[in-house]
Amino acid sequence: MAPAPSKLYADDVSLLMVLLDTNPLFWTSSYLPFSNFLSHVLSFLNSILLLNQLNQVVVIATGYNHCDYVFDSSLATNQGSENGRMPALCYDLLQKLEEFLVKDEQLHKEGSEKGLASSLLSGSLSMALCCILFYDLDICTASLCLIFRRFFDQGHSIHNPGYVAIMNSIFSAQRSMVPIDSCYIGSNNSAFLQQASYITGGVYLKPQQLDGLFQYLSTVFATDLHSRTFLQLPKSVGVDFRASCFCHKKTIDMGYICSVCLSIFCKHHKKCSTCGSVFGQAQSDNESASNLKR
Amino acid sequence: MPQVKIIAKNFMDMVASLPAMKLDNLYSNAFICEAILRSLPPLAKKYVLQMLCIEAPVSAKSMEEWVLADGSTKHKVAIDRLLQLRLLTENVDRKRETTYRLNPVLQSNLQKLLVCGEVLPREPMPTNVIGKLPSLENLEDFAVEQWECFLLQLINSSQAERPSNISSSTMKVFQRGLLSQREKEAPRLTESGFQFLLMDTNAQLWYIIREYISNSEERGIDPSDLISFLLELSFHVTGEAYNINSLTEVQSSTIKDLADLGLVKLQQGRKESWFIPTKLATNLSMSLTDSSSRKQGFVVVETNFRLYAYSTSKLHCEILRLFARVEYQLPNLIVGAITKESLYNAFENGITADQASCIPWLFYIISFLQQNAHPRVSERIPSVPENVTDQIRLWEADLNRIEMNPAYLYDEFPSREVFESACDFAREWNGLLWEDSKKMRLMVKAEVHTNMREFLRRAKQ
Amino acid sequence: MSTGQVTKRAKYKTSVKDPGTPGLLRMNERKLSFSPHDPASATKLDVEFIHIKGHKHTKEGSNKPPWLNLPHDQGGSYIFEFESFADLHKLHKQFVIGGVLTELEFWATRKKLLDGDSNRKLKQRVGFKSTMILDTKPMADGRTNKVTFNLTPEIKYQIFVLKPAVHRAFLNLVPNKMTEKDFFTKYFKAEYLLSSKNAVAAAAEAAEDDELAIFLKDDDILAQEARRKIRRVDPTLDMEADQGDDYTHLPDHGIFRDGSKEISESQHEQYKRTLSQDLNRQGAVVLEGRTLDMDLEDPRTVAEALVRSRQESDGDATQERLERISRMTEIEDLQAPHDHPFAPLCIKDPRDYFDAQQANALKTLDDIRSKTEQTKCNLSIDEAYGSLRDSVSKIMTMGLSDPIVKPEVALMVLNGLTQNISGTRYQLGKNPQESILDGLPKTTKDELLHHWMSIQELLRHFWSSYPITTTSLHTKVSRLKDAMSQIYRHLEEIKESVQSDFRHQVSLLVRPMHQALDAAFQHYDADQQKRSSTRIGESPNGYV
Repeated sequence: MAPAPSKLYADDVSLLMVLLDTNPLFWTSSYLPFSNFLSHVLSFLNSILLLNQLNQVVVIATGYNHCDYVFDSSLATNQGSENGRMPALCYDLLQKLEEFLVKDEQLHKEGSEKGLASSLLSGSLSMALCCILFYDLDICTASLCLIFRRFFDQGHSIHNPGYVAIMNSIFSAQRSMVPIDSCYIGSNNSAFLQQASYITGGVYLKPQQLDGLFQYLSTVFATDLHSRTFLQLPKSVGVDFRASCFCHKKTIDMGYICSVCLSIFCKHHKKCSTCGSVFGQAQSDNESASNLKR
Repeated sequence: MPQVKIIAKNFMDMVASLPAMKLDNLYSNAFICEAILRSLPPLAKKYVLQMLCIEAPVSAKSMEEWVLADGSTKHKVAIDRLLQLRLLTENVDRKRETTYRLNPVLQSNLQKLLVCGEVLPREPMPTNVIGKLPSLENLEDFAVEQWECFLLQLINSSQAERPSNISSSTMKVFQRGLLSQREKEAPRLTESGFQFLLMDTNAQLWYIIREYISNSEERGIDPSDLISFLLELSFHVTGEAYNINSLTEVQSSTIKDLADLGLVKLQQGRKESWFIPTKLATNLSMSLTDSSSRKQGFVVVETNFRLYAYSTSKLHCEILRLFARVEYQLPNLIVGAITKESLYNAFENGITADQASCIPWLFYIISFLQQNAHPRVSERIPSVPENVTDQIRLWEADLNRIEMNPAYLYDEFPSREVFESACDFAREWNGLLWEDSKKMRLMVKAEVHTNMREFLRRAKQ
Repeated sequence: MSTGQVTKRAKYKTSVKDPGTPGLLRMNERKLSFSPHDPASATKLDVEFIHIKGHKHTKEGSNKPPWLNLPHDQGGSYIFEFESFADLHKLHKQFVIGGVLTELEFWATRKKLLDGDSNRKLKQRVGFKSTMILDTKPMADGRTNKVTFNLTPEIKYQIFVLKPAVHRAFLNLVPNKMTEKDFFTKYFKAEYLLSSKNAVAAAAEAAEDDELAIFLKDDDILAQEARRKIRRVDPTLDMEADQGDDYTHLPDHGIFRDGSKEISESQHEQYKRTLSQDLNRQGAVVLEGRTLDMDLEDPRTVAEALVRSRQESDGDATQERLERISRMTEIEDLQAPHDHPFAPLCIKDPRDYFDAQQANALKTLDDIRSKTEQTKCNLSIDEAYGSLRDSVSKIMTMGLSDPIVKPEVALMVLNGLTQNISGTRYQLGKNPQESILDGLPKTTKDELLHHWMSIQELLRHFWSSYPITTTSLHTKVSRLKDAMSQIYRHLEEIKESVQSDFRHQVSLLVRPMHQALDAAFQHYDADQQKRSSTRIGESPNGYV
């Protein structure tokens, strides 16, 4: 018996959540100007919407002080272009993005030094997941696409308390079977994004050729989830599985681990900061409570 | 299993069968590029996208690298489709390597779409000229009503009634192939007419449009013009009014026919007249047929062959009557039963000249029941009880006890030796149907006949 | 294993090439049975040993996974593959036979492997007996007119549960008004009267004796409950409580207990019982399950405990039971499918981790060597915001860049990606991202992996020995330390002996192992020092 014909081409409808890094500090030192970056990404979003009119794109900007939705294609009213110069949706997005930046700066001025020196990934991830759950009740077509300039797990990470939160949102993405694709624009690899993609079955990509960003995005990330089952996509070898310690957010090979709640520390502590277990007093005896982990 | 003849889902097959020149001309229209891109299988879309910015030929081998083992058929289908539609051109270079290159016209059109966005095919008329536009709901009701009216007429005219607000000449065009009229007999639904009624709205629409286009040449219209106009139409905004004066002559005559089907609504102002596209028109370019836009199902089939249809539509009732015995008709519920008699009635109805291809019958009945399954049962797999589908299949198989094979009979063999070698030859070709070694006669399938004749001629020498 | 049964996890194969069905293999003196983990699988086995003609098995210590091959008389054979512990076997040989660990110590960390299967037997509670106590038949000795009822604590308990009215009477009367013995004598007298179907006699007796009347009458508590139940349910649907209890009061309805059926005067109706009533009550009690888990010797305590448990369970238990029943009776056809999407638990291969870490160590080195990215920003944050906003407005006025990507760049990117893909697919030799471990000569690789495993094992024992409280632990630790320093030296040797091309990689691989060992040694030394200093001080034998 032939399959029901209505299913013929219906498999490639996708809901794509895009998380954009708009942390101003990261873009100043970049050799890819922000406007070029936007141009590539916007073309990519257009192409997704072009492929199938049921495709949906939601964009979340992740700034320095807050994160917010800047675009949702299901809410965009009219198609067509603004003065024939660019698609209307881009215009909408850019306007929203401008407002977003203004607000972000304002927040920064109000809170002066309180701002975090890293992108608020956990927040925007949670927003994206909520949005997916909101739109995507029964069809498993959603994927998350992170496009990040730089990430805090190297170097300037000391003040970020987001590690547990990020890992938790990654795990919730895994539970809801949402693959996280990540595109990382920087010279080193980002262990976080690598882990996120690895855990959720997405693709991690670090473009070598930044002026070909659109090509990377459209070749790899525009692949709908159905097609992914029979396509080979770039696999990253040597995912950095190393954990960050809870106390200083350093990536460590070896550390102390709480035998009660499995929190990881780079130094010996008297008490677990997560669950409050007491590790024993003397240096020589504490290993009964905390073990070395590789 | 005989080839299942399914009426083409969308008319991309038809587009693909256009002559190369016309096909290439089509792509100069950005709307057609977009519509065609959307109609492609997912993998083909991906290929177009990844080659969008590349002007150099890409080797076939490098494209295959991406495909896992179980995707190879999908890959082949996608590439074939792209070649058929001339979206890709194939080249074999000196090293015998196959390379592909994206159609440059399409490429630049799509690139422009990405960078500059869509331009509307024509500007909607300002509201001060028109006054009040019909609301979207009204428009939808209008479309559904027109469409159902058209379908009902198909069924009813097969029962020799004729209420009509559709001009009979157009009706004839639309009905071609769906109804058969023998002399002194009421027109009857043909097999494809029967199948047609059981298809979902979008597929029906495509079928009609396809018929309409393939008949266009008789009316002196270039099919490619019609195709591009229809595709263009699908990029208009639902519910907006567009001036008819902006249409060419061919287009404005076409739009009248389309209004009969409910694709557009025509309105007359004091000076000007305009058309308002309905959902039916704007959905035309949707590659995806129904699953998302589909109306809620309404049929529950029970294991005891009873059938409950929660519907107020007269059309639904008529369609069900095609293959089921309708027992009660309540204001919002039709209760019926699928019986052997009702099914035979259906089979008889449709079986005309083409005896060989009656397999799709049950296929269409079953898929109709599946596609319109009530939400309460549609999540179940199967949504129609297995015993019912099996029984329908058995009843149908009951009718097909005889298989017909065109064949050739050979006799008067000069010797037993020749006879036996001929038998062996036929067996080798898998064409031996029957042999009688006593009288030295054998029957061979028609397609093996030429080979057989050749063989016997050689044997004679 | 008192039952003489052996239970093992195994894979069942019908032929040598069969990939096998994982499941449980049970064997006792008579037969073997195999039940697959996947309940849907059809490969169940239940074979008596008479049909087995012989057995073969793989040699201990060979590289092949342990197989048991049992040819049977139908010509084929049953092959079972047991879980392979080749690595474990190696470790065992190295440490236990080498005298580093005792047999006991070695297995202490692997208790799970040893008794995982035998331990899974659940402690099962004895359910409520399904035989009808109401059928407790008197025994007549045939000569005298005396009848004897045999009464056990179990029967008393059953009576209490089945007949709330008797239970209540017991609580009221015993021991204040009568002894327990008298109570049950009366009860059985009533039972006897009922079973003799002499309703007239029963009525007469009841008129004389108030207490006897209690037993003869219908159980009012039950009747009340039945009425309540009937009122609560939709009579057309719920089969659990149809009006069976009620119908029996209609004449000509129901089978009377003990088979016979007689019509008698209606005024004595209350002294008769029907089988269906009894059956229903018995069924209800059995379904409820046993609520008491205690010694049944003293009927008084049993009776009281029963009151308590009834009170507790009354509310939520009935609710739960109702839910359970509604779950069981829901019409399958009309339900949505029950399976929810789930993400399978995925446990990574530790080797994967090991490998990746080394690759990362290498990468970090490379990263450091290459120009480190400038993390310091050369603009103030206000300027940064300004430049971002400028970019946005720039793109708003200029539009998207056209062409999006230069054709040459696009082709280059696509080719690069394609290359990456074919690289990962065929594991071509020169892929820089390939695992380091696989690049090493096989002997070196095996050796390294083996040492790594040994270190894991030793460290596990080492750290679990702290704090040292006994002499045996002390000696164990020093034994462990010796073994570890031996491996340490081995590792050094490997590092020295390996070809210069690989030396860098090997040293990267060895480094974390050395670090782990160093940490252990350091701890050992520190502990030793502390111990010797305290020993001089107070505790004469050192171990507290």
